Amino acid sequence: MTDTTQTPALSALGRFKQSPFAKFEFVAGATLTALLTLLVLFSGVLFPGGGAEVNLLARLAEPFQSWAHPLGTDPLGRDILARIVHGGRISLIVGLLSALGSVILGTVIGLYAGYYRGFLDTFVMRFADVQLALPFILLAITVIAIVGPGVDRIIILMIVSQWVQYARLVRGSVLSLRQREFVQAAVSYGLPNWRIIFRHILPNAMGPLIILLTLNVANNILLESSLTFLGLGADPQTPSWGGMLSEGRSYVQTAWWITVFPGVAIMLTVLGLNLLGDWLRDELDPLGKTR
Amino acid sequence: MSFRHPFPARNVLRSAVLLSCLALAAPAFAQDRTLTVGQNRDPQNLDPIDTFRLSWGSIGSNVFDGLVFRDEDLEIQPGLATDWEFLDDDTRIRFHLRDGVEFHNGEPFNADAVKYTFDRLLGEEGLKGPQRSNYTSIREVVVVDERTVDFLMERPDPVLITKLAGYGAMIVPPKYIEEVGEEAFDMKPVGTGPFQVTEYIPTVGVKLAKFDNYWNGEAKVDAVNIRFIPEDATRIAELLSGGVDISMNIPSPSVETIEQNPNVNLLAVDGPTVVLTRFDTSKGITADPRVRKAIAMAVDRDTIVQALLGGLANPISSAQSAKSFGNDTALEPYPFDPEGAKALLAEAGVEPGTEITLDMPSNDESFREVAQVIAAFLGQVGLNVNIRNHERSVYFDDIIENGKTGEMYYFGWGGWTFDFDNTAYLLYHSGERNNPYIEDEKLDTLLDQQRETYDREVREGALQEVARYAHEQALDLPLYNLSTIYGVSNRVEGFVPAPDERARYMDVTVK
Repeated sequence: MTDTTQTPALSALGRFKQSPFAKFEFVAGATLTALLTLLVLFSGVLFPGGGAEVNLLARLAEPFQSWAHPLGTDPLGRDILARIVHGGRISLIVGLLSALGSVILGTVIGLYAGYYRGFLDTFVMRFADVQLALPFILLAITVIAIVGPGVDRIIILMIVSQWVQYARLVRGSVLSLRQREFVQAAVSYGLPNWRIIFRHILPNAMGPLIILLTLNVANNILLESSLTFLGLGADPQTPSWGGMLSEGRSYVQTAWWITVFPGVAIMLTVLGLNLLGDWLRDELDPLGKTR
Repeated sequence: MSFRHPFPARNVLRSAVLLSCLALAAPAFAQDRTLTVGQNRDPQNLDPIDTFRLSWGSIGSNVFDGLVFRDEDLEIQPGLATDWEFLDDDTRIRFHLRDGVEFHNGEPFNADAVKYTFDRLLGEEGLKGPQRSNYTSIREVVVVDERTVDFLMERPDPVLITKLAGYGAMIVPPKYIEEVGEEAFDMKPVGTGPFQVTEYIPTVGVKLAKFDNYWNGEAKVDAVNIRFIPEDATRIAELLSGGVDISMNIPSPSVETIEQNPNVNLLAVDGPTVVLTRFDTSKGITADPRVRKAIAMAVDRDTIVQALLGGLANPISSAQSAKSFGNDTALEPYPFDPEGAKALLAEAGVEPGTEITLDMPSNDESFREVAQVIAAFLGQVGLNVNIRNHERSVYFDDIIENGKTGEMYYFGWGGWTFDFDNTAYLLYHSGERNNPYIEDEKLDTLLDQQRETYDREVREGALQEVARYAHEQALDLPLYNLSTIYGVSNRVEGFVPAPDERARYMDVTVK
């Protein structure tokens, strides 16, 4: 079965010459992200103990002194390197799941609202305005005070408060795409609505969506760290970057390595994802045309 | 008495150089000597009967006096009363009042002020605050003459004299309160102490100025500027950079930072605060005393104190410090014995790998480390501990009060009277808001008994029996008694650390 219209945006991939900086962005971003993903995937193999073994005799060991603890140990004598690698799990799980959840929820609602308009559109978009005005950290602190802490709750909270950005973005794209000739043509051919939405509208709204997604993953990794830093995230025994920062705070002047290394891990991860997102934007929208 | 080691200055030469630099600059501000103090919390209300916070103690103890006064060795000394006697089978206590004392506003201190203070505390106004319940053993205060008052007792109260040094019994000026009203008094109180409040800005700080007509000598600094700095790291950074001269409430993880700085000393003194993990004795595996004993045997308290708390705490066998009345020195904590713990757990039918939950408030940095070490110790005997954090007020007002904790939960308490009655009653007497699980007739009887007599031996016996019974049943796991730690700049001289956090600044000088 063939379709009579083409999807212009995606074919832009690879059509334009890449500038040297774009190449650098891609290489650096992809390397960092791939490295992190690999480390996290194999964290169980690399450090089977999960960085949880307490050894008070080896507390606050300095970094770069021994192969047993290459990045030193924390106040409870746990290996910093093992904890960073394992801590990446929480960061990645929270970053990916929350972004994925909000992109799916937001896209479905945005497509529906933009395509069918009507009461639901008005209602959802006003609701979105209200929600965008609520600061996330405040919302998180309040909700966690009521339902108790936990990683699962943080992910759900992030989805609940962030689908809005995707819904607005998708709805905007749908509104302009509806007027384009290839959609009008599809309508006049009598194609069913679901087919027009998923075959003709959604692929053309994908570009900005993917860019927002990469930035959102990075942003949520930072948010998770902040919440854990505030003591509202995971069980303190479960290594996480935010938690490590928080625990090392009192030791900054005597044992810098407890906070600096997880800080660097957060920075490199977010940097990698942002570079990748930047590169993708240039690729998907080389003329900077997206609304 | 057990004041511990003010750490010697590391580098005498460097201090000398610094001092000479300061000496050059000194004449510019010699006229106005101000001591700056950083403390972590704002009491939110300066009226003595409206608060029970330690943060009030380090302000109010410089502004107010009571009939008696407890010194830094926890001995009761005459304050605004010169002496007292027990009359009519101990149902009447007569106080002779000091002559020539005046309030900061010039009002004279006399028997009427004492009567007014206690009428206010025990009446309408007192009902609004938390202090009244400590003093309900007093039926009435009667003025005998200008310099004599009688306390008529409702029932015997063995801790009364100590409590007269407490917050609620601070003597307040009748005329001033009538003039300005209760709300103004909350913000700008007047007492008879060595300093008067000049300015109180909530969440920012309190400014005190020397009171020239103080009855008991003269303060050595002209002003004290107390700043509220809730963030530990910020408060310590201010101390190290010279922004504050004395920093209170030093958390144990920061001890090393301060020890390494040559311009700052660490002063530690045994405090009133005890830290324990309590058990849900009503359900789950911890309803079985064998399991509770096993947990107590699996945790090595000495290691926690030495390695994590830098030795600035003492292991305890009951929920009180060594200085507390009712402490039984013969009572030993359960010995560290992981093998014995495993055997007990097996006997109680607890499978290795059983999960239990330990609840704690999220902002306690020092206990967060301790909790993880406890979890590691319990992991070695086959109990997997999940640690759950809660926002502080949620933790105390909901999780504990409504019995929503896991098998174990954190509890810390500073029994400021240094009398086990204060802590034991709220931990073990049925129906207390901090005791969601324990209902035990024997404990109720013992605790009520010791509240009805002035006989020290009977009371001590009953309180020690409470401690022994709690230990035998392993009702909780008493961990350690925290030292009160102050960080003090080299510029400061004459500061004596108070075990009860009621820091007094009268004899302090700043170079």
